[in-house]
Amino acid sequence: MIRSSQPGVRLRGLGKDYGARTAVGSIDLDVERGECFALLGPNGAGKTTTISMLAGVVTPTRGWIEICGIELGSDPYAAKVKVGLVPQEIALYEELSALQNLRYFGALYGLRGATLAERIDQSLEVVGLRDRTREQVKTYSGGMKRRLNIAAGLLHRPQVLILDEPTVGVDPQSRNQIFSTVRALRDAGTTIVYSTHYMEEAEALCDRVAIMDAGKVIASGTVPELVAAHTRDEVIIELGGDPAAVAEASRAACAGGATLHGGSLLHIGPSSRGLGSVIGGIEQCGAVVVRIASHQATLENAFLALTGRALRDEP
Amino acid sequence: MIRAVIAKDVGLLLRDRGALLSLFALPLVFILVFGSIFQEGPDRNEARPVAIWFAAGDARGAAIAGALAAAPGFAARTAGSPEEVRQLVATDAVAAGLVIDPDRDAAIELVIDLAAPLQARGPLEGALTAVVLRALVPAALRIEARSPPGRGPPRAQASAFQIAVPANAVLFGFFLALTVATSLGSERRTGVWRRLLAAPVLRGRVLVASLVPYFLIGIVQLGFLFGTGVLVFGMEVAGSVSALVAVSLALVYCAVSLGLLFASIGGSERQLGAFGSVVLLVMGILGGCMVPRALMPAEMQAIGLAVPHGWALDGYYDVLVRTGTGIAEVVPAVGALVGFGTVFAMFGVAWFRFEE
Ligand SMILES: Nc1ncnc2c1ncn2[C@@H]1O[C@H](COP(=O)(O)OP(=O)(O)OP(=O)(O)O)[C@@H](O)[C@H]1O
Ligand SMILES: [Mg+2]
Repeated sequence: MIRSSQPGVRLRGLGKDYGARTAVGSIDLDVERGECFALLGPNGAGKTTTISMLAGVVTPTRGWIEICGIELGSDPYAAKVKVGLVPQEIALYEELSALQNLRYFGALYGLRGATLAERIDQSLEVVGLRDRTREQVKTYSGGMKRRLNIAAGLLHRPQVLILDEPTVGVDPQSRNQIFSTVRALRDAGTTIVYSTHYMEEAEALCDRVAIMDAGKVIASGTVPELVAAHTRDEVIIELGGDPAAVAEASRAACAGGATLHGGSLLHIGPSSRGLGSVIGGIEQCGAVVVRIASHQATLENAFLALTGRALRDEP
Repeated sequence: MIRAVIAKDVGLLLRDRGALLSLFALPLVFILVFGSIFQEGPDRNEARPVAIWFAAGDARGAAIAGALAAAPGFAARTAGSPEEVRQLVATDAVAAGLVIDPDRDAAIELVIDLAAPLQARGPLEGALTAVVLRALVPAALRIEARSPPGRGPPRAQASAFQIAVPANAVLFGFFLALTVATSLGSERRTGVWRRLLAAPVLRGRVLVASLVPYFLIGIVQLGFLFGTGVLVFGMEVAGSVSALVAVSLALVYCAVSLGLLFASIGGSERQLGAFGSVVLLVMGILGGCMVPRALMPAEMQAIGLAVPHGWALDGYYDVLVRTGTGIAEVVPAVGALVGFGTVFAMFGVAWFRFEE
């Protein structure tokens, strides 16, 4: 097998314990070259811990990691050169300017002189930060800081870029800018691991998704695969009126493939009879349609189905 | 990489008013205040005026007047009459007066305020007695003070700045430890530390590289304080400059190592700041940065050598005050500072957590 066909990232049995607490249980994952892969999970799921182990920042308690065919544990320097990390925090010196920050982080990867200057220019270009590069970072907006945070991970042109919740706390404009940065990098062949607790981001950006919860990967695949496997489009009809009529109407609907929940909620899935005929049947029985709601097959609902919880507490 | 780290840390320091203040401005203010207070205090270096009267042609009086004029700490002022001597002392125009009776067998009158505190009157009375005796007794009865071997004599009496400059240089030089610890703490807080660990650089090198800039900053700090001492306050360096440099380098090494130790104990920057300043102040007080150890009781003097500050100050005192102090004479001070520093560094490295 030629080297370039090795997966961008391969994890086997990867886990981390902090004392008695298991932050990450035992993860197996393959991220293909040039793929954008999302780690999706709620707070405390273990995304940052997984990413930190991938980047060589945290030593795993068990398991092993391969970056582009190089085992991180046995040849950390060769592996680390291939990885770019964009931490969850704004990992920058706020008192220094963007240029001073990038010069320093570039030097950590052995870049210097004209090459360093060129890479700094290119990285700033990619994230769309061209102005105010000589001003202190603390004077930047949240979105600008986020973009600079990404630029600092790009200087050494990593083959694998790891972004840990890169859009937390940014305005829509900066978020779009970050999205197009990620897409451009993927189109240029960079393997991307992207952690987030926003479904929309995983759906919009990533080829495949691993859903994490409580230190485990509970499902993985493409977005359509996950949605198809764990959720379905449904229409929910709430029945009202004379109880005998409601009972009669629901019996008829269930005979046609619908399911009854809570005595008055009819769930009508793709395999049920057509919506029109169900509603016609209800009216024939003398029952009343109180409310109709549609329940879409989304990643959000797949997560709900998998964990029994919403991904975030806020709406 | 080292150059990039230095550029980064110097850039950060130049923007950190608090650190600049505590490393450069504050010690300078302390030096100025303490140096001036003691320069103008009771044992200032200026010659103290002493009035003298003796009858014309009195050989005994002339001999004493000659000895008084030659004595370094006194400025003789010849009065026209015994009464004038007493008046000059009474009005504080002079510190004391001598009235020499023309009768060779009569006692010599020392005019001095007997109600003045013993600490002020005693040395003056003693010194004037010695001047008189030197003029009158045969050589065999004279006593001359000499420094023992290895303890070079001063060129002149130690000046207040020869005490105040090193005391504050040591006290605030060690505050560098706090700057080191809080800068490592803030790198952890901001997540920059993660970036450093993600870079293809040995972890130990990352740590050493983050300390190097502070070594340079410490050297600049001490250079600034001693330079100002010499150029602005006229502080004398009686010993060799190379010995001064040796003690200073050892001091900075010790301070940076202590910073690593602080950082390895962990805690937030705020906790570190509070805990670290208390520890550094206590060390400074014990070591004699506030009150010279020579003025402390014997047990306290011994305790002062349990902290690096005490050794550093002993070294600086020898270099600044004693003539003939070279590298060999400051070996104990340098050795102790390097020893303390190495112990701090060993525990610092052992306890330092690269990962949280
Ligand atoms: N240094 C540490 N010491 C102890 N426990 C830790 C440490 N780091 C993480 N954990 C625990 O490991 C678990 C996973 O944390 P992690 O930060 O990886 O989650 P996450 O998915 O990134 O969450 P978030 O979305 O909030 O960033 C949590 O229970 C956390 O408390
Ligand atoms: Mg996280």
